[in-house]
Amino acid sequence: MTLVVLQGTPPAASTTGIAVERAVAERLHLAVGDTVRLGATPDSLRRLAVVSAIYEPRPDPAEISRRSSRVRLHLPDLAVLLGAPDRVDRFGIGLVPGVSADSGVTVLNRSAFGFRAHPSAVIASESSQTFKVVSRFHRAIAVISIVASAVFLLCIMLLKVEERRMDAAVMRFVGVRRRTIFGALVLEAALIAILGSVLGAALAFLAGSATNAYYRRFFDTELVFSLITPRILWFSLALSLVLGIAAGAAAAWRLVRIRPMVLWGRA
Amino acid sequence: MTGLVWGLKSLGRHPLRTALSLAGIAVASAMLLDMVMLSGGIEKSFSELLLARGYQIRITPKGTLPFDTEGSIPRTSEVVRTIRAEPGVEAAGAVLGTAVYGRTRDSLVTLFGYGIQPEAQGIYQVTAGADLAPGDTLGILLSETAAGLLHTSIGDTVTLAGRLDPQIASASVDRRLVVRGLVRWIYDHRGQPSVGTVLPVMQRLGRDAAADPGSLLLVKAADDRAVDNLAERLRERFPALEVNSVAELVVQAKRRLVYFTQLAYVLGGMSLIVAVLLVATLLTITVNERLGEIATLRAIGVSRGTVVRQVLAEGVALTVLGSAGGILLGLATAEYLDAILTSFPGLPATFSFFVPRADTLSLAALVLLLTGSLAGIYPAWLASRAPIAATLRAEAT
Repeated sequence: MTLVVLQGTPPAASTTGIAVERAVAERLHLAVGDTVRLGATPDSLRRLAVVSAIYEPRPDPAEISRRSSRVRLHLPDLAVLLGAPDRVDRFGIGLVPGVSADSGVTVLNRSAFGFRAHPSAVIASESSQTFKVVSRFHRAIAVISIVASAVFLLCIMLLKVEERRMDAAVMRFVGVRRRTIFGALVLEAALIAILGSVLGAALAFLAGSATNAYYRRFFDTELVFSLITPRILWFSLALSLVLGIAAGAAAAWRLVRIRPMVLWGRA
Repeated sequence: MTGLVWGLKSLGRHPLRTALSLAGIAVASAMLLDMVMLSGGIEKSFSELLLARGYQIRITPKGTLPFDTEGSIPRTSEVVRTIRAEPGVEAAGAVLGTAVYGRTRDSLVTLFGYGIQPEAQGIYQVTAGADLAPGDTLGILLSETAAGLLHTSIGDTVTLAGRLDPQIASASVDRRLVVRGLVRWIYDHRGQPSVGTVLPVMQRLGRDAAADPGSLLLVKAADDRAVDNLAERLRERFPALEVNSVAELVVQAKRRLVYFTQLAYVLGGMSLIVAVLLVATLLTITVNERLGEIATLRAIGVSRGTVVRQVLAEGVALTVLGSAGGILLGLATAEYLDAILTSFPGLPATFSFFVPRADTLSLAALVLLLTGSLAGIYPAWLASRAPIAATLRAEAT
């Protein structure tokens, strides 16, 4: 459908009322009361319409990358405009309580010709396929990131513990038990892991806020793009803590098994 | 002994530490490789898809992209004739896309119907049998999926129905057609049951044939360099139509898929940071451990430059070795990630998100090598600044 903005044209008695999406109204500088000309094709702009409302559509992720301009008309007005009277793309049917959607669909499809009935749940599932794919992609990326982080953490912990070779040697010389040294090193690893996790969580909140601010502005929407739920937060903290302690323990175990003179560098 | 061999020997002193660092760099560089492939892949894949048959310009109803809406171009034949008469146009053809129904023994199967002009088509490749001849109003082309649904093969007759009327419970149009060939429709998604007939047949089956509608016009310019100029002329000639060159369509597709490109940049950047941190941390600790050795070397006359080169070479060796493993890992994960993303509903089956491009891959390798080397700058500076006498005295005690 094509729309042309007419400035200063007084509305005639036969004009149609239309509701214009807020983003479209802003782009075309339309306000309530303005007159536009509508048509099914650019060379058939015969129908006058008055902007009777400007509306904000419900945020819909499925529509986010579509830059289509939308207006709403009463069904009979649109049918006349398109030259397709008494024709619609789809019906919505509400069933009386107690009738299941599946049985209603079965009955309709058995007797239907030229159309097909679908339960709303199936349509919702089909239309959310895109987000299921994106979700699977994010999960795969997350797994790779976790593997990379785990290796990084293990490496850092190993280096961190190895830095304490001399300290460990001295402690062994003065009679401190291996178990005590091991416990101290693991405790240190745990503290580092906790501090790192808290810093990481703060960084994630900052990055999430920046992501939301950027994409909300970019797509002109109120959708939430990055959401850090308590579950995600606890999972991340627990995972980094477990990985940190495990890496620290592995490195500490390796260190306490070495003879003190070797640690001292004199063996 | 060259700096590189010295660096390699130094890395070999701590095999576990080196192996872990290499694993970390491999994972980071694999991620970087994947993200570089993703950032350029969408553009390359989409461009190749659109240029599969050499048609560089698409014309659609005003304000729409090909098959984006049900909008159609009226008086298609006249428009095509005018375009073919334009200087610089090698070929032009119309396509109509509409829903049609195939009759099986006891029911109707919903199909996607293409109305085509066989003498100028850019949307399919014949895989078996013969193509339609221009004006062949009795023939039909099927995709493998459509042939399977209709239980037919080449030479069989199928019945297509169009414009079903629920009120009188019948189809407005029926047409018996002979299967001429099996084709691969270039823009079909996986499992799409599509059929194709010559344009007038599909117009009768799907829409009001009197309006001579078309969903899309494809134009092939005789000279690739004249595409932009031709598109501009067609835009002026047909102001009520949307004229786009493939390059312009690629820009619009990139805008729609901008999220993936930006994600690729962010994750690619993070991978680089991880790789740099790993190399820098490892080298710094190694240098601190070897301060005595470095001071001894300096005391016997080894120059500061040699020490710096050795540390930098160690960083380069780490990056190169880690990246080599990263390439294999990256190619494997790219295949897996591509399998996930190409399962997007409605995406052409031949589309790919992770496409290797020589220029972007070379740039990524260069950036990785450069950052790996730069990561060694701080530890190299530490090594070069070590006070010889004080370090040797500390080592002796």
